[in-house]
Amino acid sequence: MKKKLLYSSLALVLGVGAGYAVISIAQVKPETLVKQRQAVMTLQSKYFYGRLRAMARGRIPYDAKVAAQSAAFLDALSQMPWDGFNPSTANVKSAALPEIYKEPAKFKEAQDRLRGEIVNLVAAIKGGDKAAVKAQIGAVDKACDGCHERFADLQ
Amino acid sequence: MNHCVRHLLRSAALALLFGFWAAAASARGDAKHGEYLVKAGGCVGCHTASEKDPPFAGGRALKTPFGTFFGPNITPHPQAGIGRWSEADFVRAMRHGRRPDGANYFPAFPYPSYTKISDSDLRDLWAYLRTLPPSSRLNQEHDLWFFVGWRFLVTVWKWFFFTPGPFTSIPSVSELVNRGAYLVHALGHCGECHTPRNFLGGPRRGRFLAGGKTPEGKRVPNLTPSRLKPWSDGELKEFLLSGVTPDGKAAAEIMDEVVRNTTSQLTPEDLSAIIVYLRALPPLPD
Repeated sequence: MKKKLLYSSLALVLGVGAGYAVISIAQVKPETLVKQRQAVMTLQSKYFYGRLRAMARGRIPYDAKVAAQSAAFLDALSQMPWDGFNPSTANVKSAALPEIYKEPAKFKEAQDRLRGEIVNLVAAIKGGDKAAVKAQIGAVDKACDGCHERFADLQ
Repeated sequence: MNHCVRHLLRSAALALLFGFWAAAASARGDAKHGEYLVKAGGCVGCHTASEKDPPFAGGRALKTPFGTFFGPNITPHPQAGIGRWSEADFVRAMRHGRRPDGANYFPAFPYPSYTKISDSDLRDLWAYLRTLPPSSRLNQEHDLWFFVGWRFLVTVWKWFFFTPGPFTSIPSVSELVNRGAYLVHALGHCGECHTPRNFLGGPRRGRFLAGGKTPEGKRVPNLTPSRLKPWSDGELKEFLLSGVTPDGKAAAEIMDEVVRNTTSQLTPEDLSAIIVYLRALPPLPD
């Protein structure tokens, strides 16, 4: 009996929690969601294209500390944009393509690929082998491109 | 006296020999300069399947509204590549868009741009291509709509949209602008993507570099001052070297490839020339 009560209250808490998450997104204006996810993309660009990839390409000198910090930021940032791609935003003008909402499983796959490559990048930087870090930066770059190619119209 | 004449004759013979040697050397083409020109021409992009595949051995798919083209093997392999070609065959391909057997190339091979490459640069390009390691990678057939594959139709296309002949400098502008124009028009073949096309796939001349759409429907930016004016020379240079825009965004992969293979490999002088030329273009609205 006690167990049953525990389970039902747990289910209730989870249910309310999930409902709350949905409501909280539904209440945000689509334009705001777009702005927020664009802000995350902008910061990812800053730390990836502006620092990590620039280092890999020799545009700026390689600095292990900066690399580690940028990768840590990316690790957090790369979890943030996705709930901003809510179907409610489909009609807001942005670089996002309708394929995002037509092929949600493929879009999720692309997100997971990016997450995986970033986790590997953090590990590579911890490992300290510069060549491995460079190669992994290339892999992250490909993950970004792979998603952009299918789901974004960037200029 | 006799001695003197003999000495003179010997010197003259030597001079003549040297002259022959110098002429032969210049006719042979400079492979090292050719390597630079191959980068400026972005050849590796369409003529290489992927980073893991042998460079210049062909295989890259180019999707167009008319079907999918596959860049061929241009290594000197006698069967799979262009090992049996003569220099004249190469020049005919680049300048006139014709195969050694006389048939037309499809303009997916950007000879409407490459025709503008100078004679001496063509010689250097050829000299470099001869130095590539031969690859036996076989060419893939183009996958085209049924009647698009009729090569004689390209003859008609060429009447409308193809003017053979090397780039001629514009006398009223500086040498730097002319150098930039040459790089953009001839080697860089920037207009192949940045100039919109009509329904026959021909470039819309009045809209040179005014931007368009990729076959997948993605936007290709306008390169005339209407769009590039807000970018400083330094910002434009940084973009062409690193693929990052002034607002911190990255170029789309299709352009990033051009940055990696071509623009980041150019000499600072050539990069400046391109920028100066783009600034001198008539501004066209998007």
